[in-house]
Amino acid sequence: MSTPYNIVLGVIGSDCHSVGNKILEAYFTENGFNVTNLGVMVSQEEFIAAAIETGAKAILVSSLYGHGEIDCAGLREKCIEKGLEDIILYVGGNLVVGKVPFEQVVEKFQKMGFDRVFSNEGSLDEEAELLRKDIQERLK
Amino acid sequence: MIPQKIICVDIGSTYTKGAVFNPTEDRFNVSARAVVPTTVNYLPDGFYKVLEALIPGSGSKQAYDKAEFPVFFSSSAKGGLKIAVIGLVPEMSLNIARLAAFSAGARVCAAFPYRLGKANIAQIESLAPDILLFCGGTDGGNERYALENSKMIAASKFAGTIIYAGNNFVADEVAETLSNKDIVVTENVMPDFGKLNIEPVRDAIRKVFLEKIISGKGLDELVKKFETLPVPTPLAVFNLAKAIGENVKDWDNFAIIDMGGATTDFYSYTNAFHYDGETVMKGILEPILKRTVEGDLGMRVSAESTYETGTDYFGSIGFDESKLNELKNYTLKVSESPEYLPENEKEKMFDRSLAGACIYHSLLRHAGTIEEVFTIKGRIWAQIGKDLRKINKIIGTGGYLAAMGRNNEKIIIPSEPSTPCEKIPLLPQKFTYHADNTYILPLLANLAEKYPKQCAVTAIESLINEQQN
Ligand code: B12
Repeated sequence: MSTPYNIVLGVIGSDCHSVGNKILEAYFTENGFNVTNLGVMVSQEEFIAAAIETGAKAILVSSLYGHGEIDCAGLREKCIEKGLEDIILYVGGNLVVGKVPFEQVVEKFQKMGFDRVFSNEGSLDEEAELLRKDIQERLK
Repeated sequence: MIPQKIICVDIGSTYTKGAVFNPTEDRFNVSARAVVPTTVNYLPDGFYKVLEALIPGSGSKQAYDKAEFPVFFSSSAKGGLKIAVIGLVPEMSLNIARLAAFSAGARVCAAFPYRLGKANIAQIESLAPDILLFCGGTDGGNERYALENSKMIAASKFAGTIIYAGNNFVADEVAETLSNKDIVVTENVMPDFGKLNIEPVRDAIRKVFLEKIISGKGLDELVKKFETLPVPTPLAVFNLAKAIGENVKDWDNFAIIDMGGATTDFYSYTNAFHYDGETVMKGILEPILKRTVEGDLGMRVSAESTYETGTDYFGSIGFDESKLNELKNYTLKVSESPEYLPENEKEKMFDRSLAGACIYHSLLRHAGTIEEVFTIKGRIWAQIGKDLRKINKIIGTGGYLAAMGRNNEKIIIPSEPSTPCEKIPLLPQKFTYHADNTYILPLLANLAEKYPKQCAVTAIESLINEQQN
């Protein structure tokens, strides 16, 4: 197998929910990724700094506490500004407060420049494969 | 076995100083001291003059018997060890590279993040640093910048030594690209994101200093003659700080300020982060012993820039418009004549105020900050950089602080910023000030690596403690 892809993981904003973050780290590591886990309460700048230094191919953002929309706004633009125009951005968790149909959530976050949007109900089985494919696609 | 006498010499940019120490079991007593002007064109001349003054008859190369008394020496002649650093993200690899250079006793003359442009290369060529410390990327991480930057450097006229301490996956390629230069490859300063690995770079810098940099101006001759390995003066003080922190009771949270005419050096020995349940650390966790150097804060050559930087500080210690103007004129005058000594009470007060500004601003730049973050669960703090709040002792050394200490002149060091700021600087809260009145520390510091315990004890005993804050 070729060298594993580097990815950056973290919970954005002032969100302290750490359980899912640990699970994601274990899951992507087991599935052959090199994970730099920034933990909870991660700012956009920290995500970007880590992605640059580690040469990451993707940033995986979690947001659980309901403020995902505000916290994530502008991340794609900042990435482009810092020369990370090709980086893959995923986001997941409890992305909005209240009952909003998931398709609307997806649309909202895709507009913000995220490549894929995940709910908190997925079972983490295809995500790694999906990510690998997306990265390979992007590298072409 | 400890020898009967030990000679220490420090070759500074203006003075060459020396002392004879008489070691006992647990300390070093000073038995003679000497100072002569540094002979810039050929450093051994001044060196031998000091030896002659210390031990008459020893000043000629022939007469001196190295077997009898070992000689240790440090040098900051020629402006010391000058390093330019290259990194990637300013807060990350570039910051760590600077810390590494500082802790090897160097002066950082320039720091470049991301991609090197033509203007950066021109700047490197004209600054002509002794070493270019080339970092960036974790191991297996970013490759692009290292590869692109190495091509830029290869095509430049830079003629010093390059130390590559970035992403090790591309180390071979970088070395290959730079094979037309003098290049040393060592371990990455940041192998994983946010993780510091400073020691290998410090070692590499030390080696380059010994092999290449001291060869100018006759230092290599002294090395051969006395079979001794010199260190950059700030590295000696760094080693002393380490020795004190590790060996002296109640000295585990302290700072050393070494203030000169051109620069102010700040050393802190304290844990960078104190876990309290409501503060989270952001960015890198800095080492327990950290050194920074401010090239624009100093008493003479840098007096003008100190004046510019220090306006708030001067205001906070009671300077009004007209006094500020007088101070400004004073700084213009003294920056022209590095040897100037204050001639009256007013000028002494000006010097004291400049010293305060140097200390305060080097402290501010050395210190980290905390910032309030509101979460739905309430308030928490985000810390960036080093927490200096636990520092309870500050040592002042260097010619100016020593003289002020002898004259019993008090310097005001605030523990709060003079203007309110959003990010709260983590300054020492309650501390005592300890003056190196006899200005012995830089000489004693030469012994810190070999005899840490005795050296540390002697250093602390030599200080004059003065209550402050
Ligand atoms: C435990 C918990 C807490 C604990 C957290 C302890 C800790 N150290 O983690 C405490 C008590 C501190 C807490 C506090 C709060 N909580 Co809370 N908390 C929960 C709870 C009960 C469980 C979270 C959890 O651990 N789940 C288990 C993990 C495995 O699942 P997960 O976090 O969802 O992560 C998985 C998926 O989402 C997905 N995923 C996540 N990110 C990503 C990213 C990608 C790329 C992918 C592919 C997948 C993915 O994969 C993860 C692993 O399987 C949830 C309710 C719930 N059942 O979800 C509420 C919940 C998340 N909390 C909530 C709230 C409102 C809060 C508070 C604001 C409450 C308050 N007013 O005090 C604070 C916020 C504090 C802060 N600053 O963050 C709300 C959020 C509402 C919203 N988003 O609409 C929830 C949903 C409860 C609710 N129904 O109201 N909470």
